[in-house]
Amino acid sequence: MSTEIFGFDGVNVWVDGLVRVLLIVGFMTVVVMGLIYGERKILARFQQRLGPTRTGPVGLLQSVADALKLVGKEDLRPRNADAWTFELAPYLVFVPVFLGFVIVPFVLDWQVRILELGLLYFVAVTGINIVGWIMAGWGSDNRYAMIGGMRAAAQGISYELPLVLSLLAVAMVVEVPSDSATGESLRGSLNLNEIIAAQAEIPNLVWQPLVLIVFFIAALAELNRTPFDIPVGESEVVGGPFVEYSGIRWSMFFLAEYAALLIMSLIFAAVFLGGWAWPAGLFQDDPWPRWAQALLVTGKAGLFIFMVFWVRASVPRLRIDQLMSFTWKILLPLMFAQVLINGLVLVYDWPEIVLTVTGLVGVLVLVMAVDRAVRHPRPRPAPATQLEGEAAS
Amino acid sequence: MVVDTSATEFETQDLLLNVGPQHPSTHGVFRMVLEIDGEVVKDLVPYIGYLHRGAEKLCENNDFRQGIGYMDRTEYLAAHNAELSYVMAVEALAEIEVPERAQWIRMILCELNRISSHFMFLGAFGVDVGVFGTPFIYGWRERERIIDLFEEISGDRMMFAYFRAGGLAWEVPLNFPERVREVLESARQGVKDFDGLLTQNEIFIARTKNVGVITADDAIEMGMSGPTIRASGVPLDLRKTEPYLQYDQIEFETITADGGDVFDRYLVRLQEISQSIDLIEQCLERLEDGPIMPEKMPRMLRLPEGEVYIRTEAPRGEYGIYMVSKGGNKPHRLKVRSACLSNLQALKQMCVGQYVADAIIVLGSIDIVLSEVDR
Amino acid sequence: MSTDDNAAGTAEEAQVEVVDTFDDTIWDTVNRTLRAVDVRPERSALDLIIHIPRADIIRGLRMLKQDADLQFNYLRCLTAVDNESDGIDVVYQLYSVPKNINLTVKTTLPNENKVIETATTVWKAANWLERETAEMFGVSFSGHPDPRPLLMPEDIDMSDTYPLLKSHPFAEIDVLQGEILGHDRDAEGEG
Repeated sequence: MSTEIFGFDGVNVWVDGLVRVLLIVGFMTVVVMGLIYGERKILARFQQRLGPTRTGPVGLLQSVADALKLVGKEDLRPRNADAWTFELAPYLVFVPVFLGFVIVPFVLDWQVRILELGLLYFVAVTGINIVGWIMAGWGSDNRYAMIGGMRAAAQGISYELPLVLSLLAVAMVVEVPSDSATGESLRGSLNLNEIIAAQAEIPNLVWQPLVLIVFFIAALAELNRTPFDIPVGESEVVGGPFVEYSGIRWSMFFLAEYAALLIMSLIFAAVFLGGWAWPAGLFQDDPWPRWAQALLVTGKAGLFIFMVFWVRASVPRLRIDQLMSFTWKILLPLMFAQVLINGLVLVYDWPEIVLTVTGLVGVLVLVMAVDRAVRHPRPRPAPATQLEGEAAS
Repeated sequence: MVVDTSATEFETQDLLLNVGPQHPSTHGVFRMVLEIDGEVVKDLVPYIGYLHRGAEKLCENNDFRQGIGYMDRTEYLAAHNAELSYVMAVEALAEIEVPERAQWIRMILCELNRISSHFMFLGAFGVDVGVFGTPFIYGWRERERIIDLFEEISGDRMMFAYFRAGGLAWEVPLNFPERVREVLESARQGVKDFDGLLTQNEIFIARTKNVGVITADDAIEMGMSGPTIRASGVPLDLRKTEPYLQYDQIEFETITADGGDVFDRYLVRLQEISQSIDLIEQCLERLEDGPIMPEKMPRMLRLPEGEVYIRTEAPRGEYGIYMVSKGGNKPHRLKVRSACLSNLQALKQMCVGQYVADAIIVLGSIDIVLSEVDR
Repeated sequence: MSTDDNAAGTAEEAQVEVVDTFDDTIWDTVNRTLRAVDVRPERSALDLIIHIPRADIIRGLRMLKQDADLQFNYLRCLTAVDNESDGIDVVYQLYSVPKNINLTVKTTLPNENKVIETATTVWKAANWLERETAEMFGVSFSGHPDPRPLLMPEDIDMSDTYPLLKSHPFAEIDVLQGEILGHDRDAEGEG
């Protein structure tokens, strides 16, 4: 079989796949290192300090230096650690993230594969890394690691639901141009390209504000980022499931985290902000050149990434029970309601402004629910009553 | 495989989690063993003594000038307050009258040290709660300014050995009032920064409200002191109840809160910074020229027989010096009454029944410095 | 400081013996509260000190805590002083939060029998303070709920010489500070 790549015809599909994969690997590595550097610089500026300044001009080579250092470290494994679990865990965290890049649409025509079930594939694949976290936690033979792994699993599974539901809510009402003779437009698509093309004039941000916010929160939780970085809460369990890893294995976890951040930001840009189509689609007759589209996508993904860093520099960490009750009691019911409303809009063919209005109302409900939960917390478990005669030891 | 489902509950085992002695959150070498059931702490056993250097015994072999250095090192974050107790004890036993200028300068330096110690607490507490580094850097930025001022005055950034029995070691620099006012300006801004970052933050409130509660009666029973007991509603401030130096000449209110939880301890300390800024302003107005040591001070102090228990309000609580002298130039017995040790006794009571993450926060809110706990 | 001789101690002249009546302290109230116990007052530089014999110490402390006029509900400090041949003094610093008054309570233990009843039944704050006193001085607090060392390492047996006793020596230092640099040790104390 042969296919076409970059204008070359008749290329063997395997070679084509390999080229695309290698491009993605290269792209991902470079961008992830840039993200690590960017985070350190941006966080530093939030904290009134400078960040890396010495290695290379303006500290640009800091990530390279870190990578070289990590590669040169000794690869340790605790004696009582389960060898297979311990050593396979980094792969199970890293590879699914990497697989997620298959469907990410960078620019029109530039992606590894266009899948009809793109979003489903994305959600399914990123869910695998939770297994990797548990394996890392359990296989490390370390109590802190185990606690971190359990927390990561609980958190990852719980926040998977709002994430999926938010993507579902968007995918439901996407307008897809139909091929049929009637010219009627269909609704509902999991194909990322179609989702982007449907936002040529108005991004989904306008129709689904609540879903955007919930997606942002759920993405923060899936990425284990503050305020949901309990599994790697440095001041508590000191590194969580990864505390026993060193050298290349640890760097794989680290890279996986930033690669996941990159994917989430690109998906966010595609699904909510219109990807390469908005506002380029406003000029229907004159599609923008590829480089302009790439810049557009970069800007939108960069916005997401900047918000993630901003939140990290400003906000304390949630406790595990607060995190759980937040998703199960607040986010999930809101998302169910949103899916219900989207469904009603589909079935009864209501104008899309209904979506915006209900979305804004939903945002208000979310803010009020959080405020109420914070100001009127449920009574804490009662502290142990003082034992008579026995003073605190 | 046949699974025995006759048992109605899972048989669980409590996990023994060892926190410390090397741990980013324990503010020094402190070890506690938590017995946890899932995420709830069922028992807590603290182990201290990693930083025990025998300061009390060493002071028995050092005369009344050399001992000042040891006092610095027992409370390195608030060294002026530690030195103050010691020199006040010596002055009480030897009946030395401290000139007024020296008293006002001592008050200014002690209050400045209180500000810098509380900023340190706010920074470290922010890290405990989980904000990555922003409050930490804010706190250290303010501390740097204050410590630079200390370096200009006494030559040392943290362990000054600046107070002497009778007054001060040497005169302060000529631009002392202006420098102090500069530092106060930036401290005011620092308080605003912290207030804006943390006090109204919903996640912060959710993490700290109703966590680690200790009632006023329990706090008195455990002998706690300082902001920790004032956050439980007990108006015990040694500057007000048993005034020393010139604290009865200036006006201020005792800051209390009524919840006794972690949030209140944070709030009391934040407000105390503002209060200290105000106190220093009042002291600067009253500062006049004059001597800083009494005229006839012997080189080598020999104290008559006697004993005294001097207590002052250090940033962490009541820092007391119990000195017994049997003549001679060295104390017969020097006991350092450490505020942090007494506050730390209540840790178990505050943490049992809370979550593991809360135990870390409660430990941070008591604001211990291990060198004072262990001496 | 309790009895004061104005004269230099010459035997011939009538010595003016100023007997301290402790009128400006809380001695009267304390004496009344502790009438069941043998009490002797003294002064420190700031506070009133009372001496209670060992057998009555906990009873006395409890009476001081529960008396409505005194209400010493706050134990500030609990420590010991090694008086070598005169025994070991255990010192309690008390404070009353409602009344804002201070009191120092002392009791003496003979060197052969350093046992005293625990004060944890009166104030919980005594717990760690007694543990520290026990490991530093070898005083045994009978009835203490948790008699483990506090600051000392657990694997060292200090029962032959406790750190804060006067009989416990300071470490031998091979090279005194400054010797290598050529500073004169005689210059110590001159500024």
